[in-house]
Amino acid sequence: MTNTNDNTPSTALAPLAYAWLGLVVLTLLGLGLGQWFRGAGWQPLLVAAIVWVKSWLVCRHFIESHLAHPFITKMMRGFILFAPIALILTAFFGSQFARWATL
Amino acid sequence: MNTIALPATEAIPEVPVSRRFPGNKGIWVGITCELVEFLVLFIVYFVSRAHFPDAFEEGAERLSRISGTVITLLMVTSSFFIACSVAAIRAGQRRRSIYWLIAGLVVSLGYPVAKIMEINWNLAHGINGESGIFFTVYYYLTFNHFVHATWGILGILWVLARHLVGGYTAEDHSGLEALASYWHATDIIWLIIFSFFYVLA
Repeated sequence: MTNTNDNTPSTALAPLAYAWLGLVVLTLLGLGLGQWFRGAGWQPLLVAAIVWVKSWLVCRHFIESHLAHPFITKMMRGFILFAPIALILTAFFGSQFARWATL
Repeated sequence: MNTIALPATEAIPEVPVSRRFPGNKGIWVGITCELVEFLVLFIVYFVSRAHFPDAFEEGAERLSRISGTVITLLMVTSSFFIACSVAAIRAGQRRRSIYWLIAGLVVSLGYPVAKIMEINWNLAHGINGESGIFFTVYYYLTFNHFVHATWGILGILWVLARHLVGGYTAEDHSGLEALASYWHATDIIWLIIFSFFYVLA
Protein backbone atom coordinates (compact mmCIF):
# COMPACT_ATOMS: atom_id res chain seq x y z
CA MET A 1 0.00 0.00 0.00
CA THR A 2 1.37 3.37 -0.88
CA ASN A 3 0.72 6.63 0.84
CA THR A 4 0.32 9.52 -1.54
CA ASN A 5 -0.74 12.17 0.99
CA ASP A 6 1.63 15.14 0.69
CA ASN A 7 1.54 15.79 4.45
CA THR A 8 2.55 12.37 5.70
CA PRO A 9 5.82 10.49 5.26
CA SER A 10 5.71 8.47 2.09
CA THR A 11 5.75 4.70 1.73
CA ALA A 12 5.97 4.84 -2.07
CA LEU A 13 9.15 3.74 -3.78
CA ALA A 14 8.49 5.33 -7.19
CA PRO A 15 9.25 8.95 -6.14
CA LEU A 16 12.49 7.72 -4.54
CA ALA A 17 13.44 5.92 -7.75
CA TYR A 18 12.72 9.01 -9.85
CA ALA A 19 14.80 11.15 -7.49
CA TRP A 20 17.69 8.67 -7.69
CA LEU A 21 17.46 8.60 -11.49
CA GLY A 22 17.49 12.40 -11.53
CA LEU A 23 20.59 12.43 -9.31
CA VAL A 24 22.43 9.99 -11.58
CA VAL A 25 21.48 11.87 -14.77
CA LEU A 26 22.40 15.26 -13.27
CA THR A 27 25.74 13.90 -12.02
CA LEU A 28 26.71 12.62 -15.46
CA LEU A 29 25.19 15.63 -17.24
CA GLY A 30 26.96 18.06 -14.93
CA LEU A 31 30.27 16.34 -15.53
CA GLY A 32 29.75 16.34 -19.31
CA LEU A 33 28.56 19.94 -19.48
CA GLY A 34 31.36 21.04 -17.16
CA GLN A 35 33.88 19.60 -19.61
CA TRP A 36 32.01 20.75 -22.70
CA PHE A 37 31.74 24.38 -21.57
CA ARG A 38 35.10 24.49 -19.80
CA GLY A 39 36.32 28.07 -19.63
CA ALA A 40 32.92 29.57 -20.42
CA GLY A 41 32.15 32.53 -18.16
CA TRP A 42 28.78 31.13 -17.17
CA GLN A 43 30.05 27.63 -16.33
CA PRO A 44 29.93 28.37 -12.55
CA LEU A 45 26.24 29.30 -12.94
CA LEU A 46 25.54 25.93 -14.54
CA VAL A 47 27.51 24.02 -11.89
CA ALA A 48 25.80 25.98 -9.09
CA ALA A 49 22.34 25.28 -10.54
CA ILE A 50 23.02 21.56 -10.92
CA VAL A 51 24.43 21.17 -7.39
CA TRP A 52 21.41 23.00 -5.96
CA VAL A 53 18.92 20.81 -7.85
CA LYS A 54 20.73 17.62 -6.77
CA SER A 55 20.82 18.72 -3.13
CA TRP A 56 17.15 19.71 -3.30
CA LEU A 57 16.23 16.27 -4.66
CA VAL A 58 17.91 14.59 -1.66
CA CYS A 59 16.27 17.03 0.78
CA ARG A 60 12.81 16.75 -0.72
CA HIS A 61 12.56 13.04 -1.51
CA PHE A 62 15.04 11.27 0.79
CA ILE A 63 15.01 13.46 3.94
CA GLU A 64 11.46 14.77 3.30
CA SER A 65 12.57 18.07 4.81
CA HIS A 66 9.31 19.75 3.72
CA LEU A 67 7.49 17.51 6.23
CA ALA A 68 9.99 18.12 9.01
CA HIS A 69 10.16 20.63 11.86
CA PRO A 70 10.54 24.21 10.52
CA PHE A 71 14.05 24.38 11.96
CA ILE A 72 15.11 21.41 9.83
CA THR A 73 13.31 22.75 6.76
CA LYS A 74 15.01 26.15 7.06
CA MET A 75 18.42 24.73 7.96
CA MET A 76 18.48 22.37 5.00
CA ARG A 77 17.18 25.09 2.68
CA GLY A 78 19.94 27.44 3.86
CA PHE A 79 22.68 24.82 3.69
CA ILE A 80 21.94 23.77 0.12
CA LEU A 81 21.72 27.42 -0.97
CA PHE A 82 25.01 28.47 0.63
CA ALA A 83 27.43 26.63 -1.66
CA PRO A 84 25.77 27.53 -5.01
CA ILE A 85 25.52 31.22 -4.03
CA ALA A 86 29.11 31.28 -2.76
CA LEU A 87 30.26 29.52 -5.96
CA ILE A 88 28.67 32.22 -8.11
CA LEU A 89 29.94 35.08 -5.94
CA THR A 90 33.48 33.65 -5.90
CA ALA A 91 33.41 33.13 -9.66
CA PHE A 92 32.24 36.66 -10.50
CA PHE A 93 33.54 38.70 -7.56
CA GLY A 94 36.52 36.57 -6.52
CA SER A 95 39.07 39.37 -6.37
CA GLN A 96 36.86 41.64 -4.21
CA PHE A 97 36.07 38.68 -1.95
CA ALA A 98 39.78 37.87 -1.65
CA ARG A 99 40.46 41.48 -0.56
CA TRP A 100 37.76 41.30 2.12
CA ALA A 101 39.02 37.92 3.30
CA THR A 102 42.63 39.04 3.60
CA LEU A 103 43.85 39.32 7.18
CA MET B 1 -21.26 23.86 49.30
CA ASN B 2 -19.78 26.26 46.91
CA THR B 3 -18.20 24.92 43.86
CA ILE B 4 -15.52 26.57 41.85
CA ALA B 5 -16.12 26.60 38.21
CA LEU B 6 -13.16 25.37 36.31
CA PRO B 7 -12.55 26.81 32.92
CA ALA B 8 -13.31 24.43 30.11
CA THR B 9 -10.27 22.46 29.23
CA GLU B 10 -8.76 23.83 26.10
CA ALA B 11 -8.21 21.28 23.44
CA ILE B 12 -4.53 20.47 23.21
CA PRO B 13 -3.57 21.18 19.64
CA GLU B 14 -2.27 18.13 17.86
CA VAL B 15 1.29 18.38 16.69
CA PRO B 16 0.95 18.61 12.96
CA VAL B 17 2.76 15.96 10.96
CA SER B 18 4.70 18.72 9.23
CA ARG B 19 6.56 19.49 12.48
CA ARG B 20 8.10 16.07 12.97
CA PHE B 21 11.79 15.31 13.46
CA PRO B 22 12.80 12.60 11.00
CA GLY B 23 14.38 9.99 13.28
CA ASN B 24 14.90 11.76 16.58
CA LYS B 25 16.04 15.11 17.96
CA GLY B 26 19.46 13.76 18.95
CA ILE B 27 20.47 12.87 15.43
CA TRP B 28 19.43 16.33 14.24
CA VAL B 29 21.72 17.91 16.83
CA GLY B 30 24.50 15.80 15.31
CA ILE B 31 23.50 16.64 11.73
CA THR B 32 23.36 20.36 12.59
CA CYS B 33 26.90 20.15 14.01
CA GLU B 34 28.03 18.28 10.90
CA LEU B 35 26.55 20.91 8.58
CA VAL B 36 28.08 23.76 10.59
CA GLU B 37 31.48 22.03 10.47
CA PHE B 38 31.30 21.65 6.71
CA LEU B 39 30.04 25.24 6.28
CA VAL B 40 33.28 26.36 7.93
CA LEU B 41 35.28 24.06 5.64
CA PHE B 42 33.40 25.40 2.62
CA ILE B 43 34.36 28.94 3.68
CA VAL B 44 37.99 27.76 3.78
CA TYR B 45 37.50 26.47 0.23
CA PHE B 46 35.98 29.72 -1.05
CA VAL B 47 38.58 31.94 0.61
CA SER B 48 41.36 29.78 -0.86
CA ARG B 49 39.70 29.73 -4.28
CA ALA B 50 39.28 33.51 -4.26
CA HIS B 51 42.97 33.99 -3.40
CA PHE B 52 44.36 31.37 -5.77
CA PRO B 53 41.93 31.00 -8.71
CA ASP B 54 44.59 29.66 -11.09
CA ALA B 55 45.69 26.92 -8.67
CA PHE B 56 42.08 25.77 -8.35
CA GLU B 57 41.46 25.74 -12.10
CA GLU B 58 44.63 23.78 -12.79
CA GLY B 59 44.28 21.48 -9.78
CA ALA B 60 40.89 20.11 -10.81
CA GLU B 61 42.39 18.99 -14.12
CA ARG B 62 44.85 16.72 -12.29
CA LEU B 63 42.29 14.84 -10.18
CA SER B 64 40.69 11.56 -11.26
CA ARG B 65 37.17 12.49 -12.38
CA ILE B 66 36.32 8.80 -12.61
CA SER B 67 36.98 8.37 -8.86
CA GLY B 68 34.86 11.39 -7.99
CA THR B 69 32.02 10.20 -10.21
CA VAL B 70 32.14 6.64 -8.84
CA ILE B 71 32.00 7.93 -5.25
CA THR B 72 29.07 10.20 -6.16
CA LEU B 73 27.13 7.34 -7.74
CA LEU B 74 27.87 5.12 -4.72
CA MET B 75 26.67 7.82 -2.32
CA VAL B 76 23.40 8.61 -4.13
CA THR B 77 22.65 4.92 -4.72
CA SER B 78 23.24 3.93 -1.10
CA SER B 79 21.12 6.91 -0.03
CA PHE B 80 18.35 5.70 -2.35
CA PHE B 81 18.49 2.14 -0.97
CA ILE B 82 18.36 3.38 2.63
CA ALA B 83 15.42 5.68 1.80
CA CYS B 84 13.69 2.61 0.33
CA SER B 85 14.41 0.72 3.56
CA VAL B 86 12.63 3.45 5.55
CA ALA B 87 9.67 3.48 3.12
CA ALA B 88 9.40 -0.32 3.36
CA ILE B 89 9.33 -0.41 7.18
CA ARG B 90 6.72 2.37 7.20
CA ALA B 91 4.59 0.10 5.01
CA GLY B 92 5.11 -2.75 7.48
CA GLN B 93 7.39 -4.72 5.13
CA ARG B 94 10.12 -5.62 7.61
CA ARG B 95 11.90 -8.26 5.55
CA ARG B 96 11.97 -6.01 2.47
CA SER B 97 13.26 -3.14 4.61
CA ILE B 98 16.15 -5.34 5.79
CA TYR B 99 17.03 -6.28 2.20
CA TRP B 100 17.09 -2.59 1.15
CA LEU B 101 19.30 -1.77 4.14
CA ILE B 102 21.72 -4.58 3.28
CA ALA B 103 21.85 -3.26 -0.30
CA GLY B 104 22.57 0.22 1.08
CA LEU B 105 25.37 -1.16 3.26
CA VAL B 106 26.98 -3.10 0.40
CA VAL B 107 26.95 -0.06 -1.90
CA SER B 108 28.20 2.27 0.83
CA LEU B 109 31.18 -0.05 1.42
CA GLY B 110 32.24 0.81 -2.13
CA TYR B 111 33.10 4.31 -0.91
CA PRO B 112 36.17 3.35 1.18
CA VAL B 113 37.33 1.07 -1.64
CA ALA B 114 36.98 3.85 -4.24
CA LYS B 115 38.64 6.34 -1.89
CA ILE B 116 41.66 4.08 -1.29
CA MET B 117 42.01 3.53 -5.04
CA GLU B 118 41.78 7.28 -5.62
CA ILE B 119 44.47 8.04 -3.04
CA ASN B 120 46.75 5.41 -4.60
CA TRP B 121 46.07 6.96 -8.03
CA ASN B 122 46.86 10.42 -6.63
CA LEU B 123 50.13 9.28 -5.05
CA ALA B 124 51.14 7.50 -8.27
CA HIS B 125 50.62 10.83 -10.06
CA GLY B 126 52.59 12.82 -7.51
CA ILE B 127 49.57 14.34 -5.77
CA ASN B 128 49.83 14.59 -1.99
CA GLY B 129 48.87 17.07 0.71
CA GLU B 130 51.89 19.24 -0.08
CA SER B 131 51.25 19.55 -3.81
CA GLY B 132 49.76 23.02 -3.49
CA ILE B 133 46.88 24.93 -1.94
CA PHE B 134 44.25 23.20 -4.10
CA PHE B 135 45.33 19.73 -3.00
CA THR B 136 45.68 20.74 0.65
CA VAL B 137 42.07 21.96 0.66
CA TYR B 138 40.98 18.94 -1.40
CA TYR B 139 42.50 16.46 1.09
CA TYR B 140 41.17 18.47 4.04
CA LEU B 141 37.58 18.39 2.81
CA THR B 142 37.49 14.90 1.28
CA PHE B 143 39.20 13.23 4.28
CA ASN B 144 36.78 14.97 6.62
CA HIS B 145 33.89 13.73 4.54
CA PHE B 146 35.37 10.23 4.49
CA VAL B 147 35.52 10.25 8.31
CA HIS B 148 31.84 11.25 8.50
CA ALA B 149 30.92 8.59 5.94
CA THR B 150 32.78 6.02 8.07
CA TRP B 151 30.62 6.96 11.08
CA GLY B 152 27.63 6.50 8.78
CA ILE B 153 28.76 3.04 7.66
CA LEU B 154 29.25 2.00 11.29
CA GLY B 155 25.77 3.38 11.96
CA ILE B 156 24.32 1.30 9.12
CA LEU B 157 25.94 -1.82 10.64
CA TRP B 158 24.44 -1.06 14.07
CA VAL B 159 20.98 -0.31 12.67
CA LEU B 160 21.10 -3.45 10.52
CA ALA B 161 21.97 -5.56 13.58
CA ARG B 162 18.99 -4.05 15.46
CA HIS B 163 16.74 -4.53 12.43
CA LEU B 164 17.69 -8.20 12.15
CA VAL B 165 16.61 -8.87 15.74
CA GLY B 166 13.27 -7.12 15.23
CA GLY B 167 14.23 -3.73 16.63
CA TYR B 168 12.06 -1.80 14.19
CA THR B 169 8.40 -1.94 13.32
CA ALA B 170 6.02 0.11 11.17
CA GLU B 171 5.03 2.01 14.33
CA ASP B 172 8.51 2.51 15.81
CA HIS B 173 11.49 2.84 13.49
CA SER B 174 13.02 6.12 14.64
CA GLY B 175 16.51 4.58 14.82
CA LEU B 176 16.40 3.54 11.17
CA GLU B 177 15.04 6.93 10.14
CA ALA B 178 17.73 8.72 12.20
CA LEU B 179 20.45 6.74 10.44
CA ALA B 180 18.85 7.49 7.07
CA SER B 181 18.73 11.24 7.85
CA TYR B 182 22.42 11.26 8.77
CA TRP B 183 23.38 9.35 5.63
CA HIS B 184 21.33 11.64 3.38
CA ALA B 185 22.93 14.74 4.94
CA THR B 186 26.36 13.20 4.37
CA ASP B 187 25.28 12.51 0.78
CA ILE B 188 24.35 16.19 0.23
CA ILE B 189 27.74 17.28 1.58
CA TRP B 190 29.47 14.99 -0.92
CA LEU B 191 27.38 16.32 -3.82
CA ILE B 192 28.69 19.81 -2.98
CA ILE B 193 32.30 18.64 -2.55
CA PHE B 194 32.08 16.80 -5.88
CA SER B 195 31.16 20.01 -7.68
CA PHE B 196 34.00 21.92 -5.94
CA PHE B 197 36.84 19.62 -6.92
CA TYR B 198 35.83 17.43 -9.85
CA VAL B 199 33.35 19.48 -11.92
CA LEU B 200 34.37 23.12 -11.59
CA ALA B 201 37.64 23.26 -13.49
